[in-house]
Amino acid sequence: METLTLIPTPDSIPAPAWFFQVLNILTFLIHILFVNIILGGSILILMSRLTRTDPPLDQSLHGVIAPKIPTTFALAINFGVAPLLFIQVIYGQFIYTSSVLMAVYWILVIPLLIIAYYGAYIHIKNYSKARTLSVVSLMVTTLILLYIAFVYVNNMTLMMQPDKWASYFQDRGGTLLNAADPSFLPRYLHFIVASVAISGLFIALVWYLRSRNTAAEAGEKINSGLKIYAIGTSVQVVVGFWYLLSLPRDLMLSFMGGNMVYTIILAAGIVLAMGSIITGFLKNLKATLIQLGILITIMVITRANLRTLYLADYFKLNQLTLKPQTDVMILFLLVFIIGLVAVGYMIKIANSAPERRKA
Amino acid sequence: MNYPYWDLPQIGGASLIALISIVHVYVAHLAVGGGAFIWLTDLKGAREKNVKIHQYIRKYTWFFLLLTMIFGGVTGVGIWFIIALVHPSATSSLIHYFVFGWAIEWVFFLGEITALLVYHYKFDQLSHRNRHRVAFLYFLFAWLSLFIINGILSFMLTPGKWLVTQNFWHGFLNPTFLPSLLFRTSAAAMIAGLFGYVTVVFEQGASFRRTMLRYCSKWTLFPFLGLVIFGAWYLFSIPKHISTITFNFNPQTIPFVYTLLISSILIFIGGIAALLKAKQSTQKMLTFVLVIIGLAWMGGFEYVREIARKPYVINDFMFSTSVLKSDVDQINQTGLLKYAKWSKIKEINDENRIEAGSELFRLQCSGCHTINGIRNDIIPRTHMFTYMGMLAQLDGQGKVLKYMPRVLGTEEEKKALAAYIVLELNDKELIENPEPSKPIIPETTAIPPFNSRTDQYVLLVWNDLGMHCISDSDPWFVILPPANTLEAQLIRRGTRPEIVTDGVEITYAVQKGFENPSKHVDFWEYADRIFGAKLGKDTGLAGTGMSGAFELDDYTATFVAEKIPVVPYSDNGTYQPYPIFDIEARETESGELLAATKVVAPVSTEMGCRNCHGGDWRWNNTSGLSEETAINILKAHDRINRTDLYDQARKGKPQLCQNCHADPAMGAAGKADLLNLSAALHGWHAHYLAKEGAEACMLCHPSHPTGNTRCSRSVHVKKGIKCTDCHGNFADHAIALLKDQQGRRSAELLLEALEATQVASKEEINPRTPWLKLPDCLSCHVDYDKPGEHPSSFNKWTPGPYALYRNRTDRSGTRCTACHGSPHAEYPATNAYGPNRDNIQPMQYTGEPYPIGSNEKCEVCHIQEMKFEIHHHNLLKMFRNKVSVH
Repeated sequence: METLTLIPTPDSIPAPAWFFQVLNILTFLIHILFVNIILGGSILILMSRLTRTDPPLDQSLHGVIAPKIPTTFALAINFGVAPLLFIQVIYGQFIYTSSVLMAVYWILVIPLLIIAYYGAYIHIKNYSKARTLSVVSLMVTTLILLYIAFVYVNNMTLMMQPDKWASYFQDRGGTLLNAADPSFLPRYLHFIVASVAISGLFIALVWYLRSRNTAAEAGEKINSGLKIYAIGTSVQVVVGFWYLLSLPRDLMLSFMGGNMVYTIILAAGIVLAMGSIITGFLKNLKATLIQLGILITIMVITRANLRTLYLADYFKLNQLTLKPQTDVMILFLLVFIIGLVAVGYMIKIANSAPERRKA
Repeated sequence: MNYPYWDLPQIGGASLIALISIVHVYVAHLAVGGGAFIWLTDLKGAREKNVKIHQYIRKYTWFFLLLTMIFGGVTGVGIWFIIALVHPSATSSLIHYFVFGWAIEWVFFLGEITALLVYHYKFDQLSHRNRHRVAFLYFLFAWLSLFIINGILSFMLTPGKWLVTQNFWHGFLNPTFLPSLLFRTSAAAMIAGLFGYVTVVFEQGASFRRTMLRYCSKWTLFPFLGLVIFGAWYLFSIPKHISTITFNFNPQTIPFVYTLLISSILIFIGGIAALLKAKQSTQKMLTFVLVIIGLAWMGGFEYVREIARKPYVINDFMFSTSVLKSDVDQINQTGLLKYAKWSKIKEINDENRIEAGSELFRLQCSGCHTINGIRNDIIPRTHMFTYMGMLAQLDGQGKVLKYMPRVLGTEEEKKALAAYIVLELNDKELIENPEPSKPIIPETTAIPPFNSRTDQYVLLVWNDLGMHCISDSDPWFVILPPANTLEAQLIRRGTRPEIVTDGVEITYAVQKGFENPSKHVDFWEYADRIFGAKLGKDTGLAGTGMSGAFELDDYTATFVAEKIPVVPYSDNGTYQPYPIFDIEARETESGELLAATKVVAPVSTEMGCRNCHGGDWRWNNTSGLSEETAINILKAHDRINRTDLYDQARKGKPQLCQNCHADPAMGAAGKADLLNLSAALHGWHAHYLAKEGAEACMLCHPSHPTGNTRCSRSVHVKKGIKCTDCHGNFADHAIALLKDQQGRRSAELLLEALEATQVASKEEINPRTPWLKLPDCLSCHVDYDKPGEHPSSFNKWTPGPYALYRNRTDRSGTRCTACHGSPHAEYPATNAYGPNRDNIQPMQYTGEPYPIGSNEKCEVCHIQEMKFEIHHHNLLKMFRNKVSVH
């Protein structure tokens, strides 16, 4: 079966591809941050709770983020919708196909996600009331999150490798995976390690903000969080190089000078990663945060660049037919701004509300 | 077809969509209605300074958040996941055409969850004013989400002008957008009331509970006003052609319409019941039941809406099979397997035919049909079909019953699909054409003597139709009872021959072995129930038996023995569709024998129903309509026409088709709004047996050249004239019959998809009343002359019954049929059961099989040569079509 003949014909797009690519990268960036916090946070909390001591919530390092996990779920899901929408717009013919090939695993994400989401609530609501229930719930949530990550990495790599699609004719039941791909494991680990590292940094940040509000002593916790970040990112650098080396040779070489733009972007990322590890060990929260902000943007862009390279033989974004819907696009941008204003307004009144108001 | 197909033969993707969607949509409507409920109830609590309400709404919000934000939110994404897996092409279309709609909806979703989280987590901290603002914002964003989704959902049902312009707004603000939005908004309020109960019944304090239950009942009951008004508006906004298919034809719609209506009534009653005083446990129970009924209501509504779209996923644009309407012609030309990117097989050959069929099934059928599965299982739906029946089904599907799409692809592909369904799925044989019958052993026909010098009378006898089929499926239905009519004219020979009508009696008696038809068919057991007539055994509907006397019809100077109940089954177990009758004419007073002859009463039970509808032969594995065939036919009729003929028959009340369908052949008036029998049968089946030429006729009628009747015996057959040369191809024939029935809804529906094949358009086909207007012999034999090249009398119908061959006379009063023989068996006829079985009288009187009086043998009646062509022009010649029948 010729790979090219299997690739579906894409539908036309109502705005230039770059517009959707930018939205895709922006929203994915926010999504992945929330996801990192949920997964990394859950792993850290679980590790802590499985130690013999299991300190009460208000004394533990993760005490500040544990109650935020369920809310973060809501935001992660919301910000997952947007990039999934935009990727379907520009890469629909690839992602619909790969999703069908692994349909069983893919659709299981939905019921499992519901369970994980409720699990996060059960965990925090029973944190000290019913420890076993609480810990088991968190365990279930964490395992499900690892499963979902596994499925997503499968899909995101399978969609880029149409040469593997013909396996469908041996298995039409939607149970194909791409886990045997040499780059699968490093990519999967690259996400998990990042989640842990970023959660560490997030813990440090929340402790910092809290200490600023209440003037309580939080220095030790901030440092612990930064340490998690620094160690995690050190591991991440190693995993990152493993991932790079596991890529098909021509793709790997593109990031090693083959494509100068891509190479420079990635190199900048590596430098920032190193820099943030150093500032992390030096307990400099602000410098670490700023570096990470740029670093994660670079990594999301590199992720998109890698996809472009993978698909280069089959498809380029400029092949999509443009049938503009400028009026609706402008309306969307307006609604987007109004929506953000409304969201900002609600967050503002929420934050300005006194801690306890007499009913 | 662009995408791979997720193969779930037992479950079917559609069921997964339904499962996720219905629960989601229920909760999603709650998310909208509940938003209004929270906002207004919170306002009410503040206005009344009622702390209990304030506390209640806080608890309600927690429950609401857990249900709508988690379960509702994730199942919403779940719908998107599942439709992209099951219908990637359609999902891709919706995403690409409406991406900014979805993006806007995402912003609303973000606003919605932010508002809900702030409202819940800051419930106690926010000022009343800010809290109410946030509650309002929540409701606003939730309703705006509905606004967007509703636009895209209603677009799928009624794309309206978008089909032409592909403009976003034309699609979004489509014909059902507004009624659907208002209907759903009402539904959301009603559902908010239902879920209001859920939290209220757990409140402490009977009086507070009662107050709040009443309050919730307002939410449940008042929206019904909107549901009725906007529901009706919604219904009437759906184009007529869509609603006809959905509500008049698609049998799938019925249970869901009932679900919707009954659950509506139950919810309304429940809403009123909630006003009554009751124990808390009773209230809890009622609430629980109401929430479940609410789910059924939602499922009923969504199912009806989904079904209304069939056979499309986006109406008039993309079929449920993911094929674009605009690609249909191309697919039929080049083939579906080539069109489908994800088909393993591209070319069909003998080795891969079944596998190709399975591929085609996956591509075209699996979207709705499972195999041995939970939904629309294909096995019971096709088990009755033979291979031919399956092919016919595939040919006709979607032409009249448009809730299913047309089957696409080349003829080769349709055959592969049919073969897969019949052989692989139903484990039945592949028999492409009607099977040939057992070999027929011709008998020599004894020709009665005639002495041209001494005999004074010539007795001419014939059958009025040339073939009479009977349906021997009496316990199930009767379409044609045993009823053969023989007609006779007696001519006194002389220089001035005379047609004798007075002072003579003509009698008939069937040949040995056929005297007891009641031994072979169940007609007499059911005659009273079906015809309301108490018939003696072996006596027919007109009172004639297997032997008896003709009655004189003065007007035509013809003796008639009407409706003799002869059947083609002989007591010795052989099938004989041409039993011979002895006919004698005697002087009434003296009883002296004036003339004697023989004639066949052609009768057949070789009805081809089983070719498609399945089942065996009923009688001795030779002929007849079996129970299985009859039941399959009744079930098909019941399914398509929403009748209960099968049940009635099972209860011992089989029906006569002509009770409802008029039939001039039987003098049955039928029901005025229904098609006459011929128009109904031909009009319907023409869509399924879309073949040209006589091959189509012989699938049902006993005219197959290797069948056990071979009823086309006329001289015309020898000349290569086929059924269709006079009656028209199946489609043309059906159009003529249907045009005669115009004004009846079924006629319009059936005519719509039929195309003329022998003339340029349907408009050129002249309407024809069956049995009363038929192809006119004289349109080829102009002035009784030799026809021109390629004769055809199609579309040249006799003006009325008087001009029919079987009714006409010449100038002397002699019936055409008297000299030329029965219709479809005109002399010189050929009969597989004996070369001269249909030519007895010509052989008897002239020694040749040609029409009486041909070859200038005027002396048969005139006892001398004649010079004037008194009977008709072109008579005094040697017969053109010499045959050898000896």
